[in-house]
Amino acid sequence: MMKNLLLSAAALLIAAPTSSAEPPKAGDPAPLFEAPSTDGTIRLADYRGRKAVVLAFYYADFTSG
Amino acid sequence: MEMQAFQADLSRFESLNAQVLGVSPDNVETHTKFSASLGLRFPLVTDKDGAIQKRYAPGRITYLIDADGIIRFVQKGMPKHEDFLRELGKLKK
Repeated sequence: MMKNLLLSAAALLIAAPTSSAEPPKAGDPAPLFEAPSTDGTIRLADYRGRKAVVLAFYYADFTSG
Repeated sequence: MEMQAFQADLSRFESLNAQVLGVSPDNVETHTKFSASLGLRFPLVTDKDGAIQKRYAPGRITYLIDADGIIRFVQKGMPKHEDFLRELGKLKK
């Protein structure tokens, strides 16, 4: 019984990283990132408590996208 | 096209205290030329090897993230600004 519980707990711990790979949706925390930009290094965390962010992924510069 | 459209509505987003960030795999040099050609006044972020996008979702997709870092609205395809402006208006100030 105890052993089964421990095994279940272990399975949950192992499964957790897989489930977090699901695309985030409304209500989820936005995955943090830090990356170069035309305005220096951008850190998503820097907007915390200051501004909302509209994060627009597009295909490439100089295309119709 | 998409970034040009954001520039056209930038003041509306700014008036709702929102920062627009464009993200694509292009390097900063290409981003800088592209930004200058369109007169963009918001940053273009370099997503090298798509590492950022892997943590979100693939394709053309836009997220509204509130000031607490929580995703509030997601839209695939060309973003409809009216939807984002409406959702921004709902956020607590």
